[in-house]
Amino acid sequence: MINTLDRRTFIKLTASASGALVAGVSFQSCAPEKLPATAHEFSPLIKIDTDGWITLIAKNPEIGQGIKTALPIILAEELGANWKKVKVEQGDYDKGYEEQWAGGSYAIILNWDLMRTAGAKVRHVLIQAASNKMNRPVSELSTINSEVLHIKSGNSLPFKELIAEASQITLPESVEFKPITSFEIVGKNIPQVDLYKQVSGEIKYSIDVKLPGMVYATVSKNPVFEGGVSSYDDTVTRSVNGVIDIIELDNKAYGGRLIGPNSPNFVNGIAVIANSTWSAFKGAEKLKVEWNNADSRKENTEGIFEGFHSQLTSTSIERKDGNIDIAKRRAVSNVEAVYEVPFLAHVTMEPMNCTIDYRDDFCEVWAPTQNPEALQDGLIKLFGLKPEQIKIHLPRIGGAFGRRFYVDYAMDAAVLSKKMKKPVKLTWTREEDIKHDWYRPASVHKMNASLDKKGKVTGWQHILSNASRKTSLGREGNPAGTEIDEYEFPAGFIPNLQLEYGHVLSDVPLGQWRAVGHSATAFAVHSFLDELAILNNMDTIDYFLEFLGPARMVPVVDDYKFDLERLILVIEKVRLNSNWDTVLPEGHGRGFAACKDSGSFIAEVVTVRVDKNGKVKILKVDAVVDCGMVINHSGAEAQVQGGILEGLSAALYGEITVNEGATLQSNFHDYQWMRMGEAPDIHVEFIKNELPPRGLGEPPLPPAAPALANAIFAATGQRIRKLPINKS
Amino acid sequence: MPSFTLTINNDKKVISAEPETPLLWVLRDILDLTGTKFGCGKGLCGSCTILYKGNSVRSCTLTIAAALEGNITTIEGLSEEGLQPIQEAWMELDVPQCGYCQSGQIMAASALLSKNTRPSDDEINRAMAGIICRCGTYVRIKKAIQLAANKLEE
Repeated sequence: MINTLDRRTFIKLTASASGALVAGVSFQSCAPEKLPATAHEFSPLIKIDTDGWITLIAKNPEIGQGIKTALPIILAEELGANWKKVKVEQGDYDKGYEEQWAGGSYAIILNWDLMRTAGAKVRHVLIQAASNKMNRPVSELSTINSEVLHIKSGNSLPFKELIAEASQITLPESVEFKPITSFEIVGKNIPQVDLYKQVSGEIKYSIDVKLPGMVYATVSKNPVFEGGVSSYDDTVTRSVNGVIDIIELDNKAYGGRLIGPNSPNFVNGIAVIANSTWSAFKGAEKLKVEWNNADSRKENTEGIFEGFHSQLTSTSIERKDGNIDIAKRRAVSNVEAVYEVPFLAHVTMEPMNCTIDYRDDFCEVWAPTQNPEALQDGLIKLFGLKPEQIKIHLPRIGGAFGRRFYVDYAMDAAVLSKKMKKPVKLTWTREEDIKHDWYRPASVHKMNASLDKKGKVTGWQHILSNASRKTSLGREGNPAGTEIDEYEFPAGFIPNLQLEYGHVLSDVPLGQWRAVGHSATAFAVHSFLDELAILNNMDTIDYFLEFLGPARMVPVVDDYKFDLERLILVIEKVRLNSNWDTVLPEGHGRGFAACKDSGSFIAEVVTVRVDKNGKVKILKVDAVVDCGMVINHSGAEAQVQGGILEGLSAALYGEITVNEGATLQSNFHDYQWMRMGEAPDIHVEFIKNELPPRGLGEPPLPPAAPALANAIFAATGQRIRKLPINKS
Repeated sequence: MPSFTLTINNDKKVISAEPETPLLWVLRDILDLTGTKFGCGKGLCGSCTILYKGNSVRSCTLTIAAALEGNITTIEGLSEEGLQPIQEAWMELDVPQCGYCQSGQIMAASALLSKNTRPSDDEINRAMAGIICRCGTYVRIKKAIQLAANKLEE
């Protein structure tokens, strides 16, 4: 499911996140038979030690999004723990932890009630135990700072003195949550739990794992997507000092390139095994391989985009409100614009790697994966293993951004370890990482707005054409579902609206990316709205507010409504924070965009200066966010800053191009990323409310590119309709 | 295989390796100093930044044969006698996200502050331009360098 999540699934999940998941909570006490002498594990996530320390398990993969801190904060809050005496440990992959993947801005949404329930159940037994010991009614007791407190008398008992008593009490079936007004930890600035180890260099990523007897490996894969190996000569490679063995990776032996939507198999190539990473890299450079590219479409970027453009007239209708044709005929004018966005790579700072010890029918894995379930599925499908023969550890991950939903690199490592009968650490070079990514889909967007004599939009048509990630690599399903669907903004806001999709097949491997679909559609929609405002001689924010209409619940699809009041509030605040209504000097400009994404509302204003040579300097970004309750202010602000910089960086530079069926880019010299001097100041404000927390990894990204392009227009009069900007 | 004597974190280490082996892989695979990270292998991203003779250097392109003359400081060596002001500043501002580039960022910042305790914005940008942060922690890094500069003046 995860691999092909479309917005419909997402909205259904978020709409029903509460009840359904709480009912599914399976955390149970360990049902002790005798009094524990020392620490007690009250739930798989919570252990209380007799020295007063509480160990909380962080169950989701930490990819830099701060979840290793955020989920334990929720647990600690409901438990009433003293955060200063909490230790957080990363959980391995374990079905007992329920959903354990990171992505789609889901982690907080899906785990909010789950963590609260787990914390509250243990709080309940601690209070029950204190009630027995203190001879006070449960209703008069509460927990704070790892103590049960009797407020009236001021008497308290520390958790550590309640372990024996509490461990005899069965966890309740259901519990009441703490009132939000009594929260002590949630919403504060909490430094992340790995901070010391990060700044001292002690933290271990997958790429840092070292096992006794381990050998090192790298791969040289056919640069052409879906190609194979005809023959190879490894004579020179074998003469490289430190090289131990050469192994051909042939996916035909394991069921071919793709096994199910969640378990992509590996790309064919040659692996070099050595006694160090460097020897493996050097050995791989010396391989002489004849690649077999008979099955390649031998595509190039120009041809792919021509295909997208020609498919704009051969589409499926994904949503039809009113009648767009009548609206076009009756309009005083019809405005049309076409926008293009490129394929994008992920370039996680930690390149693809995996360490696997697969011996004696047991496979132990250390993987930088967002998706341990897919990894386990892949091992089961490729090797016929049973779940109990697989152990997956989840070390901290050096960035993911959607790339690590796919487990191809882990399948490489498993094949090699099995063949070598030794632990193998596989490290891809950056070149392999960029050439064998699962790219953000490129797309072409044809927009049409029908305007009445007052300039009001009476008809809206958005045609998106691309190669869909849903059908990439022979996957099956509705190709529009992941690219443009009936939820696409401004669905529900315009009486005559038509959303269409033109489908093209391509060899380019496509997959998740941060705000993958919305990062493309928001650029088209919010650039176009800026163009309409300019045409009407109106201020962009004034025009957008008029376009949205008065604050109300806007019905979009079935029961799903857009809470416009929340969007309007963030827009009004960003207008003030950015000094939107003040005049800027010559050559400066401000651009605006505001979106709803992953249940959160965000408005951004980008301020730029463009010099005479067209060089763009981004001076400042103001963002106002309503994501419901903020769990950890420090982590949340970091997510917003990061999402914005990622959106800006991709808009400025990001582009993967292909020729003869292979990616042209190979490293950071030709796949550029923003450097420190280009990063603007970013001011973030969160709306304070007590609404359930919503996603935050992705929402900051989609408005960034259109806000930047609109700012450049404001500064120069030059409209950007094609990303990246440095090529426009 | 030839052997070389390197000075790493003020400690002499005798290493058997080919002379063209990049220091990065000696640190990581032989000496288990994994705080120095592999990011690109071509000196483009800066995740592998260490100090050589006090200068910020990319260890993925510095061969061991070229690294024999002076002390090599890695992130582990920086914190040998407790956290440095720059690391404290990093902690106060909760700088890292994924954290993978942060050793490189801290080493480059440390080279800068060892020569210039009052760096301007432009000087910070120039000194840090070689180190990519994919997560976008630049905003906090810049503040942390300024904070560390203040700490060093005290």
